[in-house]
Amino acid sequence: MSEFTISRRTMLAGSALLLASTAMPTIGWAQTPKKGGRLVVAADSEPRNLNPAIVASNGVFFISSKIVETLAEASFDGKDGLDPRLALSWEGDADGLSVTFKLREGVKWHDGKPFTSADVAFSALQVWKPLQNLGRTVFKDLEAVDTPDEATAVFKFAKPTPFQLIRNALPALTSVVPKHIYETGKIEDNPANNAPVGTGPFKFAEYKPGEYYRLEKNTDYWGKDQPYLDEIIYQVLPDRTSAASALEAEEIQLAAFSAVPLADLDRISKVPGLKVITKGYEALTYQLIVEINHRRKELADLKVRQAIAHAIDKDFVVKTVFLGYAATATGPVPKNDPQFYTADVPTYDFDVAKANALLDEAGYSRGDDGKRFSLKLLPAPYFNETKQFGDYLRQALAAIGIDAQLVNNDSAAHIKAVYTDHAFDLAVGPPVFRGDPAISTTILVQSGIPDGVPFSNQGGYKNAELDALIAKASETLDTAARTELYKEFQRKVAADLPLINVAEWSFISVARDTVKNIANNPRWAVSNWADTWLEA
Amino acid sequence: MSPLRRFLRTPEAIAGAVFLAALFAVALAAPLFFPGDPQAIAGPALLPPFQDWSLPLGTDRLGRDVLAELFHGARTSLAVGLAAAAAALAVGAVIGTLAGFAGGLVDEVLMRITDAFQTVPAFLLALAFVSIVGPSLGVVVVAIALGAWTGPARVARAEVLSIRERDFVAGARVIGMHPLEIAFREVLPNALPPVMALSSVIVAAAILTEAALSFLGLGDPNRVTWGGMIAEGRAVLRTAPFLSIIPGVALVLTVLGVYLAGEGVVETTAMRRSLS
Repeated sequence: MSEFTISRRTMLAGSALLLASTAMPTIGWAQTPKKGGRLVVAADSEPRNLNPAIVASNGVFFISSKIVETLAEASFDGKDGLDPRLALSWEGDADGLSVTFKLREGVKWHDGKPFTSADVAFSALQVWKPLQNLGRTVFKDLEAVDTPDEATAVFKFAKPTPFQLIRNALPALTSVVPKHIYETGKIEDNPANNAPVGTGPFKFAEYKPGEYYRLEKNTDYWGKDQPYLDEIIYQVLPDRTSAASALEAEEIQLAAFSAVPLADLDRISKVPGLKVITKGYEALTYQLIVEINHRRKELADLKVRQAIAHAIDKDFVVKTVFLGYAATATGPVPKNDPQFYTADVPTYDFDVAKANALLDEAGYSRGDDGKRFSLKLLPAPYFNETKQFGDYLRQALAAIGIDAQLVNNDSAAHIKAVYTDHAFDLAVGPPVFRGDPAISTTILVQSGIPDGVPFSNQGGYKNAELDALIAKASETLDTAARTELYKEFQRKVAADLPLINVAEWSFISVARDTVKNIANNPRWAVSNWADTWLEA
Repeated sequence: MSPLRRFLRTPEAIAGAVFLAALFAVALAAPLFFPGDPQAIAGPALLPPFQDWSLPLGTDRLGRDVLAELFHGARTSLAVGLAAAAAALAVGAVIGTLAGFAGGLVDEVLMRITDAFQTVPAFLLALAFVSIVGPSLGVVVVAIALGAWTGPARVARAEVLSIRERDFVAGARVIGMHPLEIAFREVLPNALPPVMALSSVIVAAAILTEAALSFLGLGDPNRVTWGGMIAEGRAVLRTAPFLSIIPGVALVLTVLGVYLAGEGVVETTAMRRSLS
């Protein structure tokens, strides 16, 4: 389905070829990249704040990762799954109290000023730690950043912080912003948040609300001969059905983030000149979960939760809701994670009879109308698939005598109802796995999180054993020991079911076959596209 | 000639009545033909129509029986349409009668309120109301009625203005009837026929508004609605257009049926009036 060409960097690395051939299905010899051309891409949302150092989310990265670079990018074949960007190397001390970054020299900001370690120190201490949605947790113990010279930044932590976590956080959390632009005035109100200045291969050129974003080539980019493209246009197409027609009409050349609905992929893959690409999102895995409000006495009973897990036909969900573009889940870490995943967890087969028996055992027998009890079910409105799974779950629960009443809300109302007001019994959520359970997975289970924190445990679940395990893993420095603790975490979560993991999915790109070097890293859609080129 | 015979002589009216009768039959028969939950998963997903005779109209994206959904959707459409129209007519008639009969300041205040409601597009009002209160069947009915009562109110007021000057009203005053009693027992019943003539338009509009709300995801998610079915089908419009077309055609026929039958009734009554 996808055609693979290797990046220039891989070619130079040479030795990595063998490794690459195991990771990539088809290797076509890299053609010589052609310079020039304009790439037109579908954009389905218009983020107002384009500063990826503050808003670390895929919607923002999609545009701003081409302008503002991080210290390192995810990679299929690099060491620790990373590829250097603004940092050339990273080294963690054994005591977990400091991490040393060697930075790339001779890099210039888009306004011509040189990039130095002071920019990294400023970004880390003034932006990532206090302001960034994800950085607040990962960098919470960051105390100081020493800058012995212009090309070295040493992160100092107040408490031992696992180097593995910092490493895993590099691609998404470490967008470096220019100190000289942000040091005056309030960072949140800086005009550069809407017209970012970075070191990346493309410069921010203009934004026409409701129409497009335009980025133009940075002729002073540090990558040799890069970027190849002259221009990237993000054409705003909020209607999901219009992306497919725009691709067919050759108005756009690329629709990433599943802008083309899954149901249309089969048809569109047969259109000559278009290809469907399922690679390039490996580090952006979404998890389909059933969030449970443990304040409901029925749901506080493990047997009831087990019954619900047995009532869900995960294969059906993957096949029907996701049309096969997903995988069934076994626990809180997705199967495609190379570091932490373990299959050795308690599993729940689809077994309606067993689910009914468990509910009978728990003392909730069917009433005269065949119903055991009623629940409020709130499917998250962000994806078609979460809404559809809500419809499915209602039917799956009906089969075991649980009457689920669907409550539909818009995004803001859903977040308030679930994460602030706790006005739900079951909710369907799509959290993102970000390469390390400590970044955004353990907070789905951990207790003691204040009300109102979205995408966290707001179901009132409290398990001292799991809390202790999470705390221990957060300060375990040894990579192997830390990984083992997270495997234990997966087993405990799958056994006690604070939430139910149903499936894991990622996005699909559809592109014209003239667009080259697509999907050559696990975060391709949100990487810098310096090596993307267009065949005439 | 009896009104019924006159009614039966207009072909449009007959067509409308036939559609409506079929719709009522479908709505009433839904639990007989399709007992149980119409949203239950009945077969393979996205089965096209006329392939499997146990699922004659095929299945939707989750494998639910489209025909069962269509039957149960008819219930929702009719229930919402009739309930919203009844509420709008009742509220409109009462307010119009009060304004017309009382006159003066009461009339001014009530009519300015009516104006205010009329200036806001009815659909926008419904949309705002449902998104604030949260979607459920009762809320949808109220939301639609909220934008529909102004028409009946204005018509009722106009009728009342002419009726209140008649002799029998003066007579009622003379025998000492309470003004409210006169308004609602003597005047309102006489003012009703022209107001009722609006009902067909209001029912048709209510059915359409309900479908539009469901299409936007603001219908009651625990009930099958035709608008919701169209919205569901929209995601697969290119690969399975029947999912949107079937409920769409049902919607068109229903609205057409209500409108034609209503027109027929209005014409019949108008003829009777002009004859008398």
